[in-house]
Amino acid sequence: MWLIKLAWKNIWRNRNRTLISMSAIFFAVIFSVVANSLWKGTFGALIQNLVGYYSGYIQIQQAGYWDEQVLDNSLEWSDSLKAEISGENNIDALSPRLESFALMSSGDITKGCLVVGIDPMRESEVTQLQERLKKGRYLESGDQAILLTEGLAEQLQLSLEDTVYIIGQGFHGATAAGKYPIKGILKYGAPDLNNRLAFLSLPAAQELYGAENRATSVVISLHDQNLLEETVLGLKKRLDSGLVAMTWKDMMPEIVQHMKTDHFTMQIIQYLLYLLIAFGIFGTLTMMMVERQFEMGMLIALGMKKGNMILLMVIESVFTVITGCLAGLAASIPVAFYFKNNPIRFGGEFGKAYERFGFEAVMPGSTEPGIFWSQGLIVLCLGLLLSLYPLYKILRMDPVKAMRR
Amino acid sequence: MRGNTSQVEMNIKTIRPSWSREMDLRVWSKGNDFAMILIQSPARDRGITFLKRGKEVWNWIPTLEKTIKLPPSMMSQSWMGTDFTNDDLVRESSVIRDFEHSLGTDTLILGRPCHTIWMVPKPEAAVVWGKLMVCIDKKDFMELHTRFYDEEGQLVNIMNAYDPALLGGRLIPTRFEIIPVEKRNQKTEMRYKKVVYDQPIADGFFSINNMKNIR
Repeated sequence: MWLIKLAWKNIWRNRNRTLISMSAIFFAVIFSVVANSLWKGTFGALIQNLVGYYSGYIQIQQAGYWDEQVLDNSLEWSDSLKAEISGENNIDALSPRLESFALMSSGDITKGCLVVGIDPMRESEVTQLQERLKKGRYLESGDQAILLTEGLAEQLQLSLEDTVYIIGQGFHGATAAGKYPIKGILKYGAPDLNNRLAFLSLPAAQELYGAENRATSVVISLHDQNLLEETVLGLKKRLDSGLVAMTWKDMMPEIVQHMKTDHFTMQIIQYLLYLLIAFGIFGTLTMMMVERQFEMGMLIALGMKKGNMILLMVIESVFTVITGCLAGLAASIPVAFYFKNNPIRFGGEFGKAYERFGFEAVMPGSTEPGIFWSQGLIVLCLGLLLSLYPLYKILRMDPVKAMRR
Repeated sequence: MRGNTSQVEMNIKTIRPSWSREMDLRVWSKGNDFAMILIQSPARDRGITFLKRGKEVWNWIPTLEKTIKLPPSMMSQSWMGTDFTNDDLVRESSVIRDFEHSLGTDTLILGRPCHTIWMVPKPEAAVVWGKLMVCIDKKDFMELHTRFYDEEGQLVNIMNAYDPALLGGRLIPTRFEIIPVEKRNQKTEMRYKKVVYDQPIADGFFSINNMKNIR
């Protein structure tokens, strides 16, 4: 008990020193939390951008459609299926699509394109399609008009109110042929989408392809993307055996691969950060030991057992480290929330590349609770581990040498 | 079947593992160079017309009010969802001129003794197949069975003919099926309903303008 009293007195004896030790821990926690929060947040935003581009977080498809993307592998789109999917928690919005390749002609020029039938309002909830509108007006449900991507319109040398002809093969061998006025021009950053996408309203596409009440996929967006796997499992249980739920990870494996590489790089950077933090803390500890060498030497010379002295130091360190950690966490929470609400904008080449793809060039913070406790815990362990150093010093302390000035 | 001119009414049934689809159509043809195909049913395809002139195929689509010349890239694609390709419409190779022939062992099809003839295209001939095996009835010279091989010698398609009957004054098979070998449970069946041979048709009938008018 007297040790705790002594430790308490020691802590307050030289306030500045204690404050320096605490602030080393304090800033270490803030740094690692904010770095982690920005990193996770940026990745989250990147995923959101990617899936919001076209694929959505999850797609429901007829089994076999992914391997052979033809209308004959489409699913029956019904209210009961809609209800079944919406019944799952975490579903933010869902949108049916009927898509198939067809030839599009302006009269003289013919191009291959992907004609997608959409429910305009729902689609915009999932992929923000309406925001890609560059010219003209957006589709309304039941419209007998078409939205072309910019590149496709350019290649066909068409603009608003011109007519495009579509010809292709429909459902079960039906002939797909139709002509539509261009109602709007959309812009995608990715050239492969910008040069070949065209959107009709779902009923118009179903009529064109002779595929009444059918859809090739149902695109889903989520409230919380961290619960992706749970939601897919839930959907799989609900759906008929003929239907499959695919995540964006299944549909874009190359992106997942890329992220894994990036993840690895970030991990190395993070380890470097921890190393930096460790040296910072270690520096204050060394300073403290040098400062208190005489004091400790004298205590030992007066007959204080080394075991008691070690215990004293442990109590002091635990108190400093925990206080520093808690203060750091408390301070980092508003910082992370600030970055979440006011993302860092970046410019330069990288920013431009981002914007060319229609992504916002920002680094938002993430406020996922896991970040706080995991980073807090890591710095705490780091601090406690480093405070073993004074203990080692005490063990090897020779009071005569220590008191020599 | 390949008289100087012919007019045929037929039904084509596309059979797939999970669905099937029927079409009624009329075909006018003259020699090897001219052919006109008019789809009469199903209703949503009614009035679609194909015109073959030499190596070109034109397609009139009433819903588009447009005539389209099929681009070369589409020639190898399925014709109206069947197991025929667009290329099958324009193939103008001559059975006599473009092939080297050799006799194989005789066989019996539909109870009729048949010659088996192996046909290998001459190097300069524009034929997509590597070789053909054709079985021809010895008495009435009907082509009852054909096997289509690709250039690697793989069997690709089988054609069977059935139900020989008198149509338009000639004994011809009136039902055919085309079976793509690599696709399971999939074939196209063709049934002749009415045939008229050698009724003169003017060349002007096979014009792009006329595609819109024929019924």
